[in-house]
Amino acid sequence: MAGLAPNKRLWVKAVFTGYRRSLHTQHEDIALMKLEGVESRQETRFYMGKRCAYVYKGRKMIKRRNSDKKTRLRVIWGKVVKAHGKSGAVRARFKRNLPPRAMGRRIRVMLYPSNI
Amino acid sequence: MCGILFGTCLSSSLHGLLLNIMEDETTKRKKPRSRQRWLTGGIPMFSRSVMYRRTAKYLKKKPIVKKEKKAVERFVVKEVGGEKNGGTRKVPLQKQPRYYPTQEGRRKLKGHRKPFSEHKRRLRPSITPGTVLILLAGVNRGRRVIFLKQLGTGLLLVTGPMKVNGIPMRRVNQRYVIATSTKLDISSVKIPGKLDDAYFKRKKLRTGKRSKNIFDDKKETYEVSDERRADQKSLDAQIIPLVKKEHLLAKYLQNPFSLRTRQYPHKMIF
Repeated sequence: MAGLAPNKRLWVKAVFTGYRRSLHTQHEDIALMKLEGVESRQETRFYMGKRCAYVYKGRKMIKRRNSDKKTRLRVIWGKVVKAHGKSGAVRARFKRNLPPRAMGRRIRVMLYPSNI
Repeated sequence: MCGILFGTCLSSSLHGLLLNIMEDETTKRKKPRSRQRWLTGGIPMFSRSVMYRRTAKYLKKKPIVKKEKKAVERFVVKEVGGEKNGGTRKVPLQKQPRYYPTQEGRRKLKGHRKPFSEHKRRLRPSITPGTVLILLAGVNRGRRVIFLKQLGTGLLLVTGPMKVNGIPMRRVNQRYVIATSTKLDISSVKIPGKLDDAYFKRKKLRTGKRSKNIFDDKKETYEVSDERRADQKSLDAQIIPLVKKEHLLAKYLQNPFSLRTRQYPHKMIF
């Protein structure tokens, strides 16, 4: 096992599939997400209220609040709000609406606030 | 019609049983069993009259004692002087109030809002002293620690122990923690009372202090106090032997938790 980076993933993989929408109109305030391994509405119960993050890279190196290091990584935080449909999709609300280029991209669903 | 028959059938067969129970009234029943049955939707199966028969309330009737109303003396006859005054007066015992307020007194606000110090602290039933917790956020995310006790503000006091996995005694929020089913028996561990919220409260470091020469300014960093080191040592001295007794627990605490491929937390039992 020497040489391998220790696995640190404490979040569930999800994909931003699109905004809440009807056929011709979309509402960008709510994002729809597909969580990995969640295939039914009952299974989404665990994820209700869990915080989620869209992590992306910007162009400029910027300083984060509590550290001196500059980084390109940026985050938009949100939380899972309710289930969406029968097959395990989920609705999330982000602090700022997700940019459309995030569609199809990775969203991290954290394990907190935990209830287990 | 059917319902009534059904009810009477049951009650007549139970009647004998009930009489036996009444005789045994001196022996206390540990669990009171309800003779009601509930259907889906919270609908009771037996109506009030059927329940009257089933619970044999006709046997438990107490004779109604009518309270005798005392005749309230409202007036007192008093003698009055003077020639043409009639000699007596009826004086009411309870005087009418002299003053009727024109407004209702200021209503006291129902104090539902309590200050933080008076909030009810809840602890998840899965978290008991000695439980191994997985920290989900912060510097030590993914690490496994031992839960010691819940502090006054509701935060959890946890420790690595330090020698085992390098995590000092720390406060942690319940919501940022997963309780595993692994539990260590720490009933013999005495947690000193001084380890409370005031002890762990963050001390403000004055960074950005201005002085005449900015180059002379030292950035104040946090340093562990000797008191903290000593307390950590004495606490861990109690816990480490217990950890070592359990097979592989020390290794378990050393290894951080993370999600792997095809591991989904909603399907996992922690």
